Amino acid sequence: MSIVGKERIEVIAQSIGITNLSPDVALSLAPDVEYRLRDIMQESIKCMRHSRRTTLTADDVDSALSLRNVEPIYGFASGGPLRFKRALGHRDLFYIEDKDLDLKDVIEAPLPKAPLDTAVTCHWLAIEGVQPAIPENAPVDVISVPAEAKKNEQKDDNLPVDIKLPVKHVLSRELQLYFDKVTELTLTQSESVLFKEALVSLATDSGLHPLVPYFTCFIADEVSHGLSNFSLLFALMRVVKSILQNPHIHIEPYLHQLMPSVVTCLVAKRLGSRLADNHWELRDFTANLVASICKRFGHVYSNLQSRLTKTLVNAFLDPKKALTQHYGAIQGLAALGPNVVRLLLLPNLEPYIRLLEPEMLLEKQRNEVKRHEAWRVYGSLLRAAGQCIYDRLKIFPTFPSSLPHAVLKTNARVLMSSPYKRKASLEQLEEQPPLKKTNTDGEVGVVLTNSSPSHKQGEAGTQASSVDSIIGSSSASEQMKNDTISNAVVRSNKVDTRSWKTSAALAQVWKDELNSGRILVSLFELFGEDILPFIQAPELYMFL
Amino acid sequence: MEEDEIAGYVTAYLKKKGFTQTEKIFQEEFQTNKTNSSPLEPDIAKHILSFSQLESGPARFHDGYSRLRSWTHCSLDLYKHELLRVLYPVFIHCFMDLVAKGHVQEARHFFNTFREDHEMMHLRDLQKLEGVLSPTHLEEMEFAHSLRQSKFNIKICEYSYELLLQHLHSTQSTTILGIINEHINFQVTPGQPSSIVDDPEAVTLSGSSQDAANQINQKEIHWGLLEDSLEERLEKASSLLSDSEKGEGEAKEGETEENKKRPVEGGKQGASIKKVKKDKGGSATGKNTKAEVNTVSAAPRVKPELPMPIIPTEVEQSILEDLRNRVQLSSVALPSVSFYTFLNTHNGLSCSSISHDGSLVAGGFSDSSLKVWDMAKLGEQTASSLSQDENDTSQNPQMGQSGGGKRQYTLFQGHSGPVYAASFSPVGEFILSSSADSTIRLWSTTYNANLVCYKGHNYPVWDVQFSPVGHYFASSSHDRTARIWSMERIQPLRIMAGHLSDVDCVQWHANCNYIATGSSDKTVRLWDVQSGECVRVFVGHRSMILSLAMSPDGRYMASGDEDGTIMMWDLSSGRCLTPLIGHTSCVWSLAFSCEGSVLASGSADCSVKLWDVNTSTKVSRAEEKSGNASRLRSLKTLPTKSTPVYALRFSRRNLLFAAGALAKNG
Repeated sequence: MSIVGKERIEVIAQSIGITNLSPDVALSLAPDVEYRLRDIMQESIKCMRHSRRTTLTADDVDSALSLRNVEPIYGFASGGPLRFKRALGHRDLFYIEDKDLDLKDVIEAPLPKAPLDTAVTCHWLAIEGVQPAIPENAPVDVISVPAEAKKNEQKDDNLPVDIKLPVKHVLSRELQLYFDKVTELTLTQSESVLFKEALVSLATDSGLHPLVPYFTCFIADEVSHGLSNFSLLFALMRVVKSILQNPHIHIEPYLHQLMPSVVTCLVAKRLGSRLADNHWELRDFTANLVASICKRFGHVYSNLQSRLTKTLVNAFLDPKKALTQHYGAIQGLAALGPNVVRLLLLPNLEPYIRLLEPEMLLEKQRNEVKRHEAWRVYGSLLRAAGQCIYDRLKIFPTFPSSLPHAVLKTNARVLMSSPYKRKASLEQLEEQPPLKKTNTDGEVGVVLTNSSPSHKQGEAGTQASSVDSIIGSSSASEQMKNDTISNAVVRSNKVDTRSWKTSAALAQVWKDELNSGRILVSLFELFGEDILPFIQAPELYMFL
Repeated sequence: MEEDEIAGYVTAYLKKKGFTQTEKIFQEEFQTNKTNSSPLEPDIAKHILSFSQLESGPARFHDGYSRLRSWTHCSLDLYKHELLRVLYPVFIHCFMDLVAKGHVQEARHFFNTFREDHEMMHLRDLQKLEGVLSPTHLEEMEFAHSLRQSKFNIKICEYSYELLLQHLHSTQSTTILGIINEHINFQVTPGQPSSIVDDPEAVTLSGSSQDAANQINQKEIHWGLLEDSLEERLEKASSLLSDSEKGEGEAKEGETEENKKRPVEGGKQGASIKKVKKDKGGSATGKNTKAEVNTVSAAPRVKPELPMPIIPTEVEQSILEDLRNRVQLSSVALPSVSFYTFLNTHNGLSCSSISHDGSLVAGGFSDSSLKVWDMAKLGEQTASSLSQDENDTSQNPQMGQSGGGKRQYTLFQGHSGPVYAASFSPVGEFILSSSADSTIRLWSTTYNANLVCYKGHNYPVWDVQFSPVGHYFASSSHDRTARIWSMERIQPLRIMAGHLSDVDCVQWHANCNYIATGSSDKTVRLWDVQSGECVRVFVGHRSMILSLAMSPDGRYMASGDEDGTIMMWDLSSGRCLTPLIGHTSCVWSLAFSCEGSVLASGSADCSVKLWDVNTSTKVSRAEEKSGNASRLRSLKTLPTKSTPVYALRFSRRNLLFAAGALAKNG
C-alpha cells in the first residue's frame, strides 16, 4: 500500500550491511521512513518555490535536509537532471549510471569554457498594454515553430535574431496532376474540346487556389518563350481569362506577375509567325481582358490603370513602333472606356491621322500588308473615337422617347428619324461659332445623300438597343431639367414641347460639355462620313 | 430478543475490551439473576446489539463511509451537491480515526479506495495526509493536528440536513454519525439549497482556530492612509495652484478638461503615455493628479503609530515631481511594461527586485551572491554588453570602468546561503537581502558595502520588505514567525507568531501600521505593528501563499498562491471579494498601480496579467456567479518569451517594471 514497504527496508538494510534485521523492525520502520521522506519532500518543495522554480533539484533536497538538521547527501550536486537507467532483465528496477572515468583523462582534458556571466537586458514587454512585435517578446501568433531555434540563438551569442523559416508549399497529388494536364493541353491541343472543358473547370472549380502561383509562372514563361506561336498565346490568354473568372481564386497577389504577359499579347510587334494568324483577334481579346482586370482591381491597386495607360499611350505615340503595336495600344485604350479615349487618344488624333493617311493610300503605300495594317489601325481609331463620341452624345436627351417605335424596318422611317437626330445636333451646333456650323451643314448633307440603307439599318438597330439602356437616365435628367428651367411649358403640342425641352436640356448640358461638339466636329473633319455611324460594328469598317 | 443472546454480546464486548474482571462479575451476576430477571427494554437491547455490531473492527469505517457515499450519490439532484460536501470531512476523519487506532493497513486501503472523489478539490491536502502512517505522525503533523482540533463548517439547507440525519439513523451508522457530530458544524439555513456553483464559504475549516479567526476578524482596523502623506501635500499644493489659476481665466480650464479626457480616450488609439509625460505644461498633469488624489483622500486618515523617519527635502521634491507626472491608468489606459530579462543565470536566480524608479535591479542567487545592476549605466553600453562573448571579455576596456572589474553589475557577497529575497528602500540607497543562512543583510548601494547583518531568525528567511517610508522593515521565515525591524537596531522590534506553518511572504500596509503575512498554512494574516497582535485571518486559499500586494488606498489586499489563484480581500471585513482566476502556475509577484486601479500579476506560466481592480472590487455576487465576470476583470495577458516573471514594480509615474530569468530548457 505504502510507497516504502517492509521489503524495501530490508533491501536497504542489506545494502548497508545489516543482515540480521528482524521483520518487526522493518515493519515499524517502513511507515516512519515514508513519513520522513514525505516531510523532506514537503520542505524541499518549499525551498523550490522560494528559489522561484517549478522543477525540483538536488539542491532543494539538500536545503530541506539542512533545515531538518540532516547532513546533505553528497555527490548529487545539480549539474543537470539525473538519468535513470533500467536494469537489464528487470522491468521496474532502475539505477543511476555512474561511469568509471580515467583520472588521467580528466586531468589532461582541456579546461572547460568558462560559463557566461549573468547579464540583464531590457526591453518593452508592452507599450500602453500593446505588445510591440520585437524579437524579445513572445510571438503573438501561436505559430512558434522556431522557438527552440531562437532560444539557441540567444544562448549562443546573446544577440536576439529573428529567424524566418522557409515556407514549405505542399501540393496534393491531385492538384499536381491537374496542373500537369492543363498545361499540357494548353501547350499542345488548344483547339480540342478537352481544352475548352479545362477552361470551364479553371473558371469554376473552387480548390484551385494553391495552383495559382504555378499557373502565373507558367503563363509568364510560355508567353516570353512562345511569342511566335499564335495558337499557344491565344490559349494562354484564355487560361488567364478563366482564372480571372474563377470566383474562388484570390488573384490579386499574382497580378503583378500576370500583367506583363497579358500586355505583351496586346502590344507586341509580332504575335505568331505566319501571315494567316489572326493576331488582330488576339489583340482584341487581350484588350478586353486588360480592361476587365482594370475594372476589377483598379480600386485595389490605384496605380494599375495609370501604369497601364502610360504603357499603352507610349506605344501609341511612338511613330517608330509598328502599326500592329499601335493597333494593340488603341484597342487597349478603347477597351478601358470612352473617358480614357477622350483624354488620351483624341488630343493626339489629328497628328496621328496625318501620319497614317499616306500609309492607307494605294498610291503611297505599295505594300499590301502594310496598307492593310494601316486600314486596321484606322478602323480601330475610328471605332474608339466613335465610341467615345457616342458615349458623349448619348447623355444628351436628343433621342425622343418615341424612338423605339421608330425602329421599323422601312428605310423611310429610318431616314425620318435620322434627320430628326441631325436636327438635334444642328441645334446643338447653332451655339457654336458660325464657321463650324457651315462645316457641319455640309456634313449633314453628306449624311442624307451618301448613307446607304444598310448603314442606316445598322445604325437604327444599335440606337434602338442603346436607347433602352439610356432611357432611364435621360428621362431622369429631363426631369431634373424640367425643375431647373421654369416649368411654364405648355404640353399641348408634343413635338414643340419636346424640341423646346431638348434645346433647353442641350443648353444645360452644353455648359458641361463644351468640348463634345468640338470633338464631334473635329472627328467629322478627320474621318469624314465614317464617323457618322459612330458605332462599333467592325464589319462596317471591313467594307471601307 | 433472547436474553442469552444479549448476554453473549455483552460478554463478547467485555472480552474484547479486556475487562476480564467485569466479565467474570457479569457472568456470575448473570447466572444468579437468570431466574428472576425482568425483561429488558427492547430499545436498550437494540442499542447494545448495534453497538456490538459496529465494534466489529476497522471495517466499519470503510463500510459506513461507502454506504454514506453511495447514498449521497443516489440522493435527490437538488440536494446532492450539498450532501456531497459532507463526504470530504467524513472521509479525512475516518482515515485519521483509523490511523489513530493503529489500523494503518486498513487506513491506507480506505484512503486509496476513496481518494479519487476528493482529488479535484483537495489534492494538496490529500498529498499531505497520505504520508500519515502512525498515530505519532498525527501528533507531529501540524496540518493533521489542526484538522483534529477544528471543525468543518458546512452550509446546508434544512431539508438536506433532515435527509442526512434520517439516513444515518435508519442505517444505524453510528460511527459516521459520531464523526459528523464530532467534526462537522452544520449551519442549517432555511429554504432552498444554495446554487450548485462551488461557494468558497460553503465548506470552511473552523473549530477552535476558526472561532478565534472570527473573533480576531471582529477587531477594528484603521486602514486609512497616513495623515500628512506626500499625496496629501501634493493635493494641497495643487489646490493652491488651481486657486491661483482661477484668477487667470477660464480658458485654461477648458483646455485642462480636454487634456484630462485625452488619456482615457487615448487608451484604445494608443495615445502614448510619453505624450502625456512630456506634456509638462503642468496644468494637465496637475489636474490629473488632483483628480486622482481626490479619490484617495476619500479614505479616512489615520495617525502613524510608529515614529516616522524624516524624508530629506530633495528626495521629497523628486517624489512630488514624480507624483505630478504620474500617468492615470484605468481599464482603458493600460500601462507600459518594461521587462528586465536575466540571461545566463544557470538556474541560480532565486529572487529579483526593482527599485522604485526602476533604475536599479537586484538579483539574489542561490550561490549566496546578490548582484545589483544599474540600468542607467547599462543603457550606455548596451551594445557592448550584448555582443559580450567569452572571448571579448578581455578586450573590452570600457567595461572595466564600471562596477570595479569586468562585470556590469555590483556584486554583494556576504551571505552563506541562497538569497531568497531582496528589497530596495524607497529612495534606493539601501538594499536588504534575506537568505537561507537565517540572516538579513543591509547593503548600501552608494558605498557598495554591507552595513549591518541582522540575526534573529533561526531558520531561512523567506522574505524581507522595506516599509513604504523606509527605515523599518519586516521579515518572514521558516520558523513560522514574522518580525519587524528598524535599520538602526540589530534586534527585532516585534515578533509575530501565530501561523501554523512557514511564513512565506510579507507585505506592509500603505499606512505602515499593519503588515500582512502569507503562509504555507494557506492563510493570510494581518498584524498590528504596534501591538504585534494578529488582527485579521484570511482563509480561502487552497495552497501556499507566494505573493501579497496592498492597494495604495489601504482598503484592499491581493494574495497569490501556488496554484495561480489570486484573491482580492477587503481588509475591514476580512472577506474575499473575488478570486481572480487565470494563471496556471505560481503567482510570484503582485503589484498595484499607484492610484490602485490596475493590479499586475507575474507568474511562473511566463506571463504578466493586468486586472481591473475597480470591477473586481465592486462586482456584485450575482454578477460574479454568471461566470463572465472573471473574464471582464482580466484586462490583458502579456506573454513573455519563456521567461517566468519574478518581480513586478509600478514606478511612481505608473510605469510597470517586470523582471525574470530566461528559462533555457523548454
